[in-house]
Amino acid sequence: MWSGLIQGFAYSLVALGLVLVFKTARILNFAAGTMAGFGGFLAYWFAVEKGVPWGVAVFLSLFLSGVGTALIERLTIRPLIPKGFLPIVVMTLGVEVVLANWSIEWWGGTAKSFPVPGNIDRTNWELGGVRFNAWHLVIAVTTFATLAIVGYIVNRTELGLAMRAFAEDQEAAKLMGIKESTVSQVTWVLSALVGSLTGILYAPVIFLQPDYMNIIFIKGFVAAILGGFTSLSGGVFGGLLLGELEAFAIKYSPREFAAALPVVIVFIILLVRPLGLFTRTKSHERV
Amino acid sequence: MTATKHTQATPTPLEPSSSALERAGIPIPKFLRLNHVLGAGFFALVWFFAASYADYSQVMMLTIIYAIIGASLVIVFGLAGQLTLGHTIFVATGAFLSANITAAWGRGLETEIPIVFIVTLGAGLIVGLPSLRVNELYLALATFAIAFVGVQLLFEWKSFTSGGTGKPAGTLSFFGHEFERGVTLVRISLVVIVIVFWLVGNLIDGRTGRAMNALRTSETAAKSVGLPVPWLKVLAFGLGGAFAGVAGVLYIQSIRRAIPENFGVNFSIIVILTLIIGGSHRLSGAVVGAIFVRWLPELVRDVQEYEGIIYGGALIILTLFSPTGLVGLFENSFKRLKNIIRPSPPLDLERVEGLALSSPHLSDLAGGEKRGRLVVESATVAFGGVRAVDDVSFEIQPGAITGLIGSNGAGKTTCFNAITGHVSGAGGRFVLDGKDITGMPIHQRALSGMGRTFQNLNLHGDMTVLDHALLGLDRELGYSRFSEFFRFPWVLKAERSAHYRAAELLDHMGLLAHWNDKVEDLPYGLQKRVDVVRAMATNPSILLLDEPAAGLPTAEAAEMMEHVRAFAEFSGAGLLVIEHNVELVADVCERVIVMDAGGILADGSATEVMADERVIAAYLGT
Repeated sequence: MWSGLIQGFAYSLVALGLVLVFKTARILNFAAGTMAGFGGFLAYWFAVEKGVPWGVAVFLSLFLSGVGTALIERLTIRPLIPKGFLPIVVMTLGVEVVLANWSIEWWGGTAKSFPVPGNIDRTNWELGGVRFNAWHLVIAVTTFATLAIVGYIVNRTELGLAMRAFAEDQEAAKLMGIKESTVSQVTWVLSALVGSLTGILYAPVIFLQPDYMNIIFIKGFVAAILGGFTSLSGGVFGGLLLGELEAFAIKYSPREFAAALPVVIVFIILLVRPLGLFTRTKSHERV
Repeated sequence: MTATKHTQATPTPLEPSSSALERAGIPIPKFLRLNHVLGAGFFALVWFFAASYADYSQVMMLTIIYAIIGASLVIVFGLAGQLTLGHTIFVATGAFLSANITAAWGRGLETEIPIVFIVTLGAGLIVGLPSLRVNELYLALATFAIAFVGVQLLFEWKSFTSGGTGKPAGTLSFFGHEFERGVTLVRISLVVIVIVFWLVGNLIDGRTGRAMNALRTSETAAKSVGLPVPWLKVLAFGLGGAFAGVAGVLYIQSIRRAIPENFGVNFSIIVILTLIIGGSHRLSGAVVGAIFVRWLPELVRDVQEYEGIIYGGALIILTLFSPTGLVGLFENSFKRLKNIIRPSPPLDLERVEGLALSSPHLSDLAGGEKRGRLVVESATVAFGGVRAVDDVSFEIQPGAITGLIGSNGAGKTTCFNAITGHVSGAGGRFVLDGKDITGMPIHQRALSGMGRTFQNLNLHGDMTVLDHALLGLDRELGYSRFSEFFRFPWVLKAERSAHYRAAELLDHMGLLAHWNDKVEDLPYGLQKRVDVVRAMATNPSILLLDEPAAGLPTAEAAEMMEHVRAFAEFSGAGLLVIEHNVELVADVCERVIVMDAGGILADGSATEVMADERVIAAYLGT
């Protein structure tokens, strides 16, 4: 239950980042997993190899992820916006390949452990008869905080209003004077920050390897699909649901099935409810 | 050369002067193409050098394998536009299946390849199923997930793949003859790739390739000419899977022992990246991409370490500056260079009134009985709470020219969409020439004789004008998708007569001089005509024109309408025209239906409805 939830948090965060970009820009970012992993590696590099204090390392990693993503968005994504989504998706694949190979160049292909301050990931607390790993608690708290912050930005700020307007109807939003470039940039940076944070949070849990975020990223995709891909809360719930389902499948079913579970889910959802479990409306194509 | 022999096999049935095709110099499809000659030359070159450069056998093998996978991706991605990121799952299936076949039965390639082809064809069809429900973006996602989990599945399925230790390749044999690997394997693979490229090339040239090209750029329009879009999408996945499976058979022979990890997501990404670098719109792109990706690290040893970064970088730069890849870059530079050295003058073709319609190539359309009796019974379309079309009923007589007018938002286009099936969940009953088409999918309504154009020009941007006409003629080609693969004589014969007919139709609409232009490069007025000619080519019983004159100067619009009217009269078809230009409607239409707020306001001759007070009120306000 608890371990499923911890996995679920990761999926929720990844789903959140993916849905953010998809909802506003109608783009799937296939580099999201690698970008998140890159953020994790940066934090590791500062903290372990350069001996920077942990908090500063996290801050630097997030800062560089943000700046780097803003650059990537400006140079590779934005010129393609008028050409439709397929070139952009292809572009994210290119970014993925470059970043993935770059991180192998930089940090090598071997697995590294990333200690957390005070080694609290090795301490367990007991609360009402349930044993908690302290780092897991940090993950849980950070997840909720991130969800709250992103939720606040999207739902309560002017910028969020622009993003939502864009998600609703890009043409109308542009006519209302909302700048496509700003929305695109903000969305990408925000989603990259969420991604890097996830990468840092989970680096101590799973060893740092060049593609350590990819598997979480795939599950995040599945979570986003479960949630309908256009709903932020749907993605979050999808992540938690998937984490639980997986924990359940690993416990009670053969290994082959547990491995195939995400794809089975994707297939069923796409064939039966392409708009996800939590979405009701159906959009109309105008001809 | 043999080309001439084959052309003589099917004599052209008419004198040259009368055909628009020959006046415009449109080449007719022949058995042999320049591509075939180039391909054969390349094949011979590699065949001979394979022995002298035996050290490079492994690289050659991988290049060939990547090129075959690339060819399979040309079908799925290049033609049908479905971005698949799980393609190597088929390669894996082919590889492990072939190892198991040799292990179990001791058979060689002659058994492996056909079985693998059939199994991966089936697997591809299944993987393609979600494409029926979701758009390309979701599909990319689903295939990505398949790739990820597929590897895990292979790893766990130990009886099939031996898990982490991997499965060794069987002996390389063909009908009991055993072969050495090395150079012989390269040559065997060369034969395989030539066959695969010939088959896929034929597919691209034929109706299936054309149809898949069309659905990539506009599914809506492809359906409206009667193309079975869902089936084509699934078929693309099936065929793509099948050829990738064949590549897998060669792959396991080349690497000797296959382990599940060989077939991960990265491989899937690399193969699609390879094709995009080469150019996904051409079969040659698969070869160029494979050569770039496999030979660059081989020839420039220094870059080996940075392989991935270079491929990714190449992809990024090409996507930004040459979306059609290296082949596209070459093609465009060549075209530009040719224009500088020897600019080709625009075709000067005088359009003669009525000439096309008297052509023998259209003679079977002539003087038919009047068709297009359309009965609409209480059509209703509701969007949420808004009833865009509210209980509309009317009947159109065969061969009649009817106008449908009304202010913006009156429900005219929605009414069209209800008739043609472009809006789902329309209530009411629709009967065309006695055939109940209610509830039919768009393409079946089109095949029943419903033709339409679009208000916002649903064209296939990168296809030529001629291709648009040929798309409309798809239903007349009559050859099966199987015979298309082998370029049988009757395939060519059907293609030729379609080309002749398409040229006449272009001539009739005054588009002949632009037959080889991409429609996205045409001015708006000509694009409108292309939209019309595509629908016309389907030989509809009734042609629904959605604002054909919008945005055109009056004279140009009147001219175009005159041509459409002449064709409709000629073929016996009816016309139903949505138009805002009231004068044009009054000129052309015998009867005018006026819609307002989802219902019918008036119905009668043009002069009658124009005198109707309610119509005047609706138009001018009271």
